[in-house]
Amino acid sequence: MFLFRMALKNLNRHRRRTFITALIIAFAILIYILTEGLMLGMTEMSFSNIINLESGHLQVANQNYWDERKELPLKNLIEPSEEIERKIEALSGLQAYTKRLNFSVNLNNGIDELPVKGVGINPEQDGAVFELQKHLVEGRMPQAESSEIIMGAKLAELMDFELGDYAVMLIRTPDKTFNTIDGEIVGLFNTPHPSLNENNVFIPLTTAQSRLDIDNQITNYVLRMESQDSGLTAAEELDRNLEAPLAAYSWKDTAESLVTMIEMQTIETQVILAIILTLAAVGIINTIILAALERMEELGMMKALGLHEREIVYIFMGEAAGIGFIGGVMGIILGVVGLFIFNYYGLDISAFTGGGDVTYGFPISGTVYAGWELSSFIFVFVYGMVVSILASFFPAFWAARKDPVKAIYHR
Amino acid sequence: MKLRANKILNLTFFIIIITVVLFSQQISAGEQLGAEEIINRRDDNEYIITAYSEAQMIIKSGGRTQVKEMRAWQDQSNSLAEFTNPRDRGTKFLKRDDDIWMFFPEAEDLVKISGHMLEQGMMGSDFSYQDILESDKLTDLYDFELLGEVEYQGRPAYKLEGVKVPGKEVSYYRRIVWIDKERFVGLREELYAESGRLLKEAEVLEVEEIDGRWYPVHTVMENKLRENTSTEFVVKEIDFNIEIDDSMFTLERLR
Repeated sequence: MFLFRMALKNLNRHRRRTFITALIIAFAILIYILTEGLMLGMTEMSFSNIINLESGHLQVANQNYWDERKELPLKNLIEPSEEIERKIEALSGLQAYTKRLNFSVNLNNGIDELPVKGVGINPEQDGAVFELQKHLVEGRMPQAESSEIIMGAKLAELMDFELGDYAVMLIRTPDKTFNTIDGEIVGLFNTPHPSLNENNVFIPLTTAQSRLDIDNQITNYVLRMESQDSGLTAAEELDRNLEAPLAAYSWKDTAESLVTMIEMQTIETQVILAIILTLAAVGIINTIILAALERMEELGMMKALGLHEREIVYIFMGEAAGIGFIGGVMGIILGVVGLFIFNYYGLDISAFTGGGDVTYGFPISGTVYAGWELSSFIFVFVYGMVVSILASFFPAFWAARKDPVKAIYHR
Repeated sequence: MKLRANKILNLTFFIIIITVVLFSQQISAGEQLGAEEIINRRDDNEYIITAYSEAQMIIKSGGRTQVKEMRAWQDQSNSLAEFTNPRDRGTKFLKRDDDIWMFFPEAEDLVKISGHMLEQGMMGSDFSYQDILESDKLTDLYDFELLGEVEYQGRPAYKLEGVKVPGKEVSYYRRIVWIDKERFVGLREELYAESGRLLKEAEVLEVEEIDGRWYPVHTVMENKLRENTSTEFVVKEIDFNIEIDDSMFTLERLR
């Protein structure tokens, strides 16, 4: 307790110096909190975009299809059956499900051709699982059984299409035979999921099935659950109940590359934190050395009065811990204020990607809002304290080892 | 003597009868050529065992015209084409059975054409890579039916319709072909999607008799899904049945 009071008094002796050193730590913590907040915000937004617009909470597909799904093959499709649907309906936490068919399309406007992804949707059920309708900027959703289509406003602009135009969709049946669909554009959407806006065309499922000569086959079932977590547990449960080659895939399986990317980003944020705190550590070392030099006579006196070297080290470490604590508290207050501002105004992504559509691989666009996570606050606070204490160890040890006689006659 | 004269007369008459009968049979046989037979005769006529050719490709697209020149070696299942016009000089294509590779001299890069790329036009033309790859016998892939005999560009011709045999892997669901009745050379071809939409149209503008067979030397292909595009293919020179070294159709040769 005596040592602790000593450390506290020492902290109080040079308030300005303490404050400035603590400020460095506070600054490091602020940067970490903001970066982490941005990362969390982007992650949350990415996942919700993927869930709400691309994959739902979980999907049922043929395992062999799943591995090649990016190629949009018309092999290993699912024959919808009551048995599968019974198993889906038995899941707890299920809100809705729908059938979808993904296929490859060459979109033609009479001048140019563009390869895009065609998605057959069931207009009656799709809205209960996906949020596409919410993002319509013009027109309406296609009607069942019709050849009406909707596409991203961006894609339409690129291909010079307008609402009411007919787009020729050149497709190939499983026999590789060409077929065409003259799709009437009845709606344009602009979602926060960039790839959806750029290369997806939606058409009623039955129309797609009949033109592709695949009877009533689909590529996947998509399910909406109560929450993201129930999607994960339900995927496991359903996967056990389904017979091979059918399998259930959660939203995390869909966003596999995104998950990897986020892991990489987390490491990146840690590295940034480590670098900034190392700089802060240099500040602390400097402060401790200064304090030690200043109080050399005092140290000599204390040692002469019987204080152990260990105890002197404790005093300095306590002082550093104090700086770390003050810095941590300031950093967290600054971070909370920063995050609040960030969350209130949001951050327009296009502003820091130069107005372009570059999103560094994240399936997001528009305005990002910061995410919050208590654990990251605790982590960064503790980390800041630990770095401060460790940084003080060597200068404190150096000061404590001084011969008391020489220390007293320091000058 | 009289008997003998009579005999000769009888014989002459018999020969005439025979000739007339045979001839008329031959005529009716010609008229009743089955649809498949007509297609096969055209294919035999245009079939290449080995050949060396020099050709020109005139690509018109959106008001722009590009002329590409090439020379090519081919046998029954393989071909190697090399572009010789200044802009594309050294660009090579190798077709080996069901694969196509392309070599870009500037990048010294070898690319296998697959997936979506197969549906693109070769060198920006209206011939897709897939069109080049489909080399199976047409009568195996389509059920042909003779629609009738018509006159096409001043030539008597058979008009036939082929509909895809269910289950066969083939790009075009239906094709209508005009085949010269006497020369058994294709004059025109229309390629349709399953929906009935006309996708491509090929017209033979000029045929020439080379080494005793009629061969189309000037063809124009139009992609009907795109406006104002056409590709003319002009064969400048062709030598049939030349000797080709086995190493011609190898990837090493492509580099």
